[in-house]
Amino acid sequence: MKLITAVVKPHRLDEIKEALQAFGVHGLTVTEASGYGRQRGHTEVYRGAEYTVDLVPKIRIEVLVEDDDAEQLIEVIVKAARTGKIGDGKVWSVPVETAVRVRTGERGPDAL
Amino acid sequence: MASVNVTNQAQDSGPGGYAAARLRLLTEGARSGPPRRAALAALTDQWLTELFAAGAQQGRGVSLVAVGGYGRAELSPRSDLDLLLLHDGSDPKGVAALADRLWYPVWDLGLALDHSVRTPAEARKTAGGDLKVQLGLLDARHIAGDLGLTTSLRTAVLADWRNQAPRRLPQLRDLCAERAERAGELQYLLEPDLKEARGGLRDATALRAVAASWLADAPREGLDEARRRLLDVRDALHLTTGRATDRLALQEHDQVAAELGLLDADALLRQVYEAARVISYASDVTWREVGRVLRSRAVRPRLRAMLGGGKPVPERSPLAEGVVEQEGEVVLARTARPERDPVLPLRAAAAAAQAGLPLSLHAVRRLAATVRPLPTPWPAEAREQLITLLGSGRPTVEVWEALEAEGLISRLLPDWERVRCRPQRNAVHLWTVDRHLIETAVQASALTRRVSRPDLLLVAALLHDIGKGWPGDHSVAGETIARDVAARIGFDQRDVAVIATLVRRHLLLVETATRRDLDDPATVRAVADAVGSQSTLELLHALTEADALATGPAAWSSWRATLVADLVKRVSALLSGDEPDDPGDAATTAEQERLALEAAATGGPVLALRAQPEQPAGPDRSGTGEGRGEPEPLGVELLVAVPDQPGVLPAVAGVLAMHRLTVRTAELRAVSLPDGVDGRVLLLDWRVAAEYGSLPQAARLRSDLVRALDGTLDIAARLAERDAAYPRRRGVVPPPPRVTVAAAASRLATVIEVRAQDAPGLLFRIGRALEDAGVRVRSAHVSTLGANAVDAFYVTGPEGAPLPGAEAVTVAGRLERTLRG
Repeated sequence: MKLITAVVKPHRLDEIKEALQAFGVHGLTVTEASGYGRQRGHTEVYRGAEYTVDLVPKIRIEVLVEDDDAEQLIEVIVKAARTGKIGDGKVWSVPVETAVRVRTGERGPDAL
Repeated sequence: MASVNVTNQAQDSGPGGYAAARLRLLTEGARSGPPRRAALAALTDQWLTELFAAGAQQGRGVSLVAVGGYGRAELSPRSDLDLLLLHDGSDPKGVAALADRLWYPVWDLGLALDHSVRTPAEARKTAGGDLKVQLGLLDARHIAGDLGLTTSLRTAVLADWRNQAPRRLPQLRDLCAERAERAGELQYLLEPDLKEARGGLRDATALRAVAASWLADAPREGLDEARRRLLDVRDALHLTTGRATDRLALQEHDQVAAELGLLDADALLRQVYEAARVISYASDVTWREVGRVLRSRAVRPRLRAMLGGGKPVPERSPLAEGVVEQEGEVVLARTARPERDPVLPLRAAAAAAQAGLPLSLHAVRRLAATVRPLPTPWPAEAREQLITLLGSGRPTVEVWEALEAEGLISRLLPDWERVRCRPQRNAVHLWTVDRHLIETAVQASALTRRVSRPDLLLVAALLHDIGKGWPGDHSVAGETIARDVAARIGFDQRDVAVIATLVRRHLLLVETATRRDLDDPATVRAVADAVGSQSTLELLHALTEADALATGPAAWSSWRATLVADLVKRVSALLSGDEPDDPGDAATTAEQERLALEAAATGGPVLALRAQPEQPAGPDRSGTGEGRGEPEPLGVELLVAVPDQPGVLPAVAGVLAMHRLTVRTAELRAVSLPDGVDGRVLLLDWRVAAEYGSLPQAARLRSDLVRALDGTLDIAARLAERDAAYPRRRGVVPPPPRVTVAAAASRLATVIEVRAQDAPGLLFRIGRALEDAGVRVRSAHVSTLGANAVDAFYVTGPEGAPLPGAEAVTVAGRLERTLRG
C-alpha cells in the first residue's frame, strides 16, 4: 500500500475529488494547510501597509491506495490540480506498512 | 450483609409486581407528561411503603423520605431514586438492617439509587456544608414511617435555608454560573444538556430554592409550563434511548420528536429553546433581584444612621432622555412617557447596552405594555438607537434577550419571528439563527473601525440570515426582506441597496476565496461586478469575518482569513479605478452667504439655529409627489459663520459639548466672500441634538462662543469638571480609535480619517489636537452613526499646502495617541 499526499491550490479540490471518484477511489482526507515551496514568500502592499506573505493557503489531500494503482493515481491528481502557474503544489507517495478499518477490524488492502 | 433475606414476603408482592406495573406504565403510552411522572412516583411510593412496612420493627423513630426530583413526585423513566432514611438515632442496628431491606431490592431491579441514612441533626449538618444536599432537602416528601420525624426535618431545613439565605444564595448563584460556563446555554445549543445547561432543569430547581428563601421571587409567567416541557422531553429521551441521559444528542432528535408527537426535530428544538429562554430569563431577573435585596440589606443600617431613620432613597443617575440608572439596572425615568414616546424602548436598550447594564424587568414590562408602534419609516432617532444598541458589543446580547422575552423585538421587526429560536441543523453552527444574528452584530461591532459606514455593517450583520426559514436560497429570500426592513428602519435608497447587496452576497467572499482560482481575472471581475464598489467591498469583508466568527470555532481560521483577504485585495485593486465621491465644495445657500457677510462685518461669530432644514426649491416641494423621499436626519441644524482664525473647530465643538449638545454631523469649510469684501469666513453647517430635554437659545451659545474664541472661557477645564462630577460607569469597551491618512484622496489638502467611539467632547478633543499639531483644518466632514464617529478632516500646513507624507503620518499618530489616552 501507498499513502499519496498532495498539497495543492484550494480551488482545485472539487476537480480532484471528481477525478478521484471517477478513478474509483472512495475515501480521502482533506486538511486545510499553509506553506510555501519554490515560490517562497512574497511582499505585498495592502491598504498602505507592507506585509509579507510567507505562508500560502493550500489544501492537503491524503489517499491510501494499493501499490499497483499508485503511479496512475498520482497522474490523475497532477492532471486535475494543474493550472500551469507557480504554486500549483506537489504530490508524493510513501509506502504504508498496514491499515486497519476500525469498525470491522479488516486489515491491509481489504481496509482500503 | 449475609443476614439479608432477599426472598422476604414483601418481595413477592413488591418488586415483581412493581417492575411489571412500572413497565406497563412506561410502555402503554396512554399516559405521558405530568400524569405519567406522578403515576410513576405514586407507584414507586407504594412499593417502597410496602418494603418499609415489611422491614421496620417499630413505627416510631424512623421514616423514609423522598428528596430531589423524586421529592417533587416527578419521576422520569430513568430518573434516580433520591431517598433518605431518617432516624432518631435510638436504634442504629435496626436502622442498618432496614436500610439493607430497602436498598437491595432497588439495586436488584437495576434502578439508580441515591441514598443516605441520617438523623435530622446529621441531615441539617450535611445540608449546611453541601449546597446540593440542601437543595434536595428543600423538596423532602414523606413516604413511610414516622411522619412527625419527617415534618420536623422539613420545618428545620426550611427555617435554616431562610436564615442562611444571605450567605448561601450567593453560593448557589456561583454554582449556577459555574455550571452554565461548563454546560453552555440550553437555548442555543444543537445538542443541549436538558438538565445542566443554562436555562435547564437545574436552573428551574434553583429558582424554586430562591423562592423558598422568601428573599426574592422569580417572574412566574410560563415558568411551570417551561419546566413541564423540558421534563416531557427528558421523559421521551429516556424512553427512546433507554438510558438515563439528559443530553439531547443529534441522532436522538427525530425519535424524541416522534415520541412527543411533534412534526419534526426542528419543532422539538424550538420548543426546548423557548422553554429554556423562559427559564434562563427568569434566572437572570431573579439573581439580579437577589443581588439587589442583599446589597440593600448590607447598606441599610448605614443609610438609616445617616438619614436619621428615614427610608433610604435609591440613587438615580440619568443615562438618556427618559432613561436612568438605579441600583445597577436601567429603569425608566419618572418623567418618561412610553405611551407618547415610541422610540423609548430602543433608547433605553441602547443606553443600557452602552452602559453595560441590564434593563430592569419592570421597565421592559412597562414598555411592552404601553409603547406604541413606530411610524414607517422609523424616525431618525429610532434608527440611530438601534445602531447604537447593535454596536455595543457583548452587552447587546443580554439587552436584546430582555426585549425579546417580552415580545418587543418581534414588534419592532416582525420578520424576526421567523428566525426566533430556529435551530441550525449544521455541525458548524453553534447558535440558533436569531442568536447567530446578534452574535454577528457583536463581532461586527469590533470591526467598525475598518469600514466607513459602521451603521450599514451592523444592520447587515443583524439581517444577513433573516431569509433562513423561507424556501429556497436564504440569501435570495433574505435580500428581499432586508430591503424591506432597511427601508422601514429609515435608510435612504442608496443605503438600502448596499444593505440588500451585503445580505445577498454575504457568502460570496468565502465561497469564492476557498473554491475559485484567485489568479483568474474572471473570478476577480465577477466578484467586483457583484459587489459594485470599494466601500461595499470593505463592508462585505468585515461582514464575512463577523459572520464566520459568530458561527462557531470551525468557521474561521487564519487559513480562511488569508484566502479572503487575498481575494479582497485583488477585487479592491480592480475597483480602485472607481474613485470614492470627493465631498466637493457644496454651493453656498443664500442664508449661509448672509451669515458669512454678517460675520465679516461684525468680526465676530454669527449663529442660526433651525429645527427644520431648508426645503430645497423645486417642483416636488410639497412633498406629496413621492411617497419615500430622503429620510429626515436627526437633530436640528446649526449654522455658524466665523471670520477665519485659528481654533474655531475646538471652540465651537467645545461650546456645544458644554451645552450637552451631541454633534451628529458637522461640515466645516472656508468660503471666500463676494467681490468687494475682504477676508475669509469659516462656515460651519452642523446638525446637533440635545442629550436631554430641549435646546439652548442661540444667544447663549453665541456668547459662550465669543468667550471661547477670545480665550476667556476655559472649555477644557469646564468639560473636565463636568466629567469628574459623573461617576464612571464600566460601560462597553469599544474598539480603540483609529486615525489614518487617506492616500491620495485630495490634491489640495491632506485627509486625516478618524474612526472612534462617539463621546461627549470628542470633536473638541480632535479639534484641539489638530490645532496643537499646528495644522489648519480647511474642511471637516463629521458623521455619527449610532455610537460610532466617522470623521474626515482636510488639513493643510500653515502655508495652506498639503502636509508632506511623513509629517501627515506623525500628525495622525499623535492624534490617535491623544484619543486613546
